[in-house]
Amino acid sequence: MHIKVNHKTIEIFSGARVADVLRKYSASTWKQVEKGSKIVCDGHGHEVGLDGELGEGAQLYIKRVPRAEPRS
Amino acid sequence: MSRGKRLASGFILLLLLVLAGFSCASLPPAPADARVVIFHFNDIHGKIDNFAKVAAIVERERQEGGDVYVFCAGDNFTGNPVIDQYQPPGEPMLELLNRLGVDLLTPGNHEFDFGMENLRNFTARARFPLVAANIEAPAGALPQLQPSIVLQTKSGLRIAVFGLIQVEAQNGLPSTHPDRVKGLRFSEPLARARAMKGLRRDGHVFLALTHLGYEDDLRLAKQMPELDVIIGGHSHSRVDPAETVNGVLIAQAGSDNRFLGRVELRLRNGRLVEKKGGLVELKGPLAENAEVKGMIARFNQNPAFARVIVEAPFAIEGRDALGSLMTDAMRAAHGLDIAFQNEGGIRLPRLPEKITLKDVYTLDPFGNQVVEIVMNAEEIRSLISDSFRRGDNIDLQVSGMAYTVRTDSERRIREIVLRGADGTPLPEDRTYRVGVSSYVASSYKFSHRDPGRALGATTADALIRFLENRPDFSIYRGVQRAFQDPPAQGRRY
Repeated sequence: MHIKVNHKTIEIFSGARVADVLRKYSASTWKQVEKGSKIVCDGHGHEVGLDGELGEGAQLYIKRVPRAEPRS
Repeated sequence: MSRGKRLASGFILLLLLVLAGFSCASLPPAPADARVVIFHFNDIHGKIDNFAKVAAIVERERQEGGDVYVFCAGDNFTGNPVIDQYQPPGEPMLELLNRLGVDLLTPGNHEFDFGMENLRNFTARARFPLVAANIEAPAGALPQLQPSIVLQTKSGLRIAVFGLIQVEAQNGLPSTHPDRVKGLRFSEPLARARAMKGLRRDGHVFLALTHLGYEDDLRLAKQMPELDVIIGGHSHSRVDPAETVNGVLIAQAGSDNRFLGRVELRLRNGRLVEKKGGLVELKGPLAENAEVKGMIARFNQNPAFARVIVEAPFAIEGRDALGSLMTDAMRAAHGLDIAFQNEGGIRLPRLPEKITLKDVYTLDPFGNQVVEIVMNAEEIRSLISDSFRRGDNIDLQVSGMAYTVRTDSERRIREIVLRGADGTPLPEDRTYRVGVSSYVASSYKFSHRDPGRALGATTADALIRFLENRPDFSIYRGVQRAFQDPPAQGRRY
């Protein structure tokens, strides 16, 4: 199946999950997501879990985790 | 306004009132003001630890009175071996859902992971009905499963709900092993949803409880503005706040019990006047229900983990032996020609003679799926080549064949020789059904025309099944199937 990550099309086995697609997309991005410094969102801006199941044509976007507001 | 226009306006108003009266004709009188709260979760995948917090939140809301419901949008099983390996499988999820007072559940694709018999027992003992309009089951196969339901609230409202489960475009089945859904018939969910439009007349609130994923929930909302709310699952989407699309509120609560969804509806004289939804984050210090906390502690001490699956005549040591065992298991479980296991995925140096479930999950803890890829000999070489280059060393253990990586003095690959299990050259003029873990399939760079497919089971599942069938362990004494020529110094065993 074909999944778009940050507009780049990734061809991957059917039944792949979000984590699989990220690993195929970029090892370094995958590490950042694993560490929690980046998150994965769907095409509508909703964060998705790394075990999330995907269908043909799904879109994913990698985003930086927003920094917490400093407490006064 | 002219008399004619006034007459026309009056006629239209009268017509609307008649139609409104007709559409509510079957509904009982509704209270002047009502509030309905629906808590929801989805894709728990055996992650039970936050259920004590969920129970406390739901109970507090119930104590405040009003109409309070708990809906589950599927995929309770598969993802936490401690829970999945309970006997019967998934039993803790059933007991916890019953204790939480779940009112309604739509099955997800992973509800079938333990087979039909297990799901039949689950549905028979559930203290809540299941809804899925696009599953047809023979009589008695899935007790309490129905296409839709109309819930009667304490305040006198009616909530009409139908359920939907995702199906794969390729085979028309949910994403699980086809053997596990034998005897059931599934239909395309969005087409089936159209046939449920008549339910609108039966409820003051019209709701779809789905396990389709957010994208298909969007499509459902666009094709069915009759709906008031869609509560979904499957894509593990954190939809916070719930979104309104085409007038339909769409909610989904992430995954793994990290969030509890809360949809609130306000009705005046039976008409929905306000709807909203959001997520309660379950991380951090929240009140917990003590009884549920005790249940969770008990379930987390799963005695099945100490169960001896098989007693081998000797401890199985070293990556060659362990990798050979793991790949033999993968091949046997799925009828594959060849299977590979990367050494980084072998997390124990030895399996003791008495092999327990805990040993298997310590050896193979990642929950990787088995992926089948149809490959020819050249593509197999490409996989081995990439694996070797990762550390200038043998990295892939194998079943169904053997191989030798010949290198020059700089450890550059000169040649990869493939042999069949009988030692003769592997035929180059055919293709092979090759099994790899989802980690290898997604991380390794190798050429393969077939993109492959996940087979709906983990590599650890395959090993457990293999061990339960008491294989001939003698072949793992001193076994070696992957060679390097010249041999590497200081090979890591």
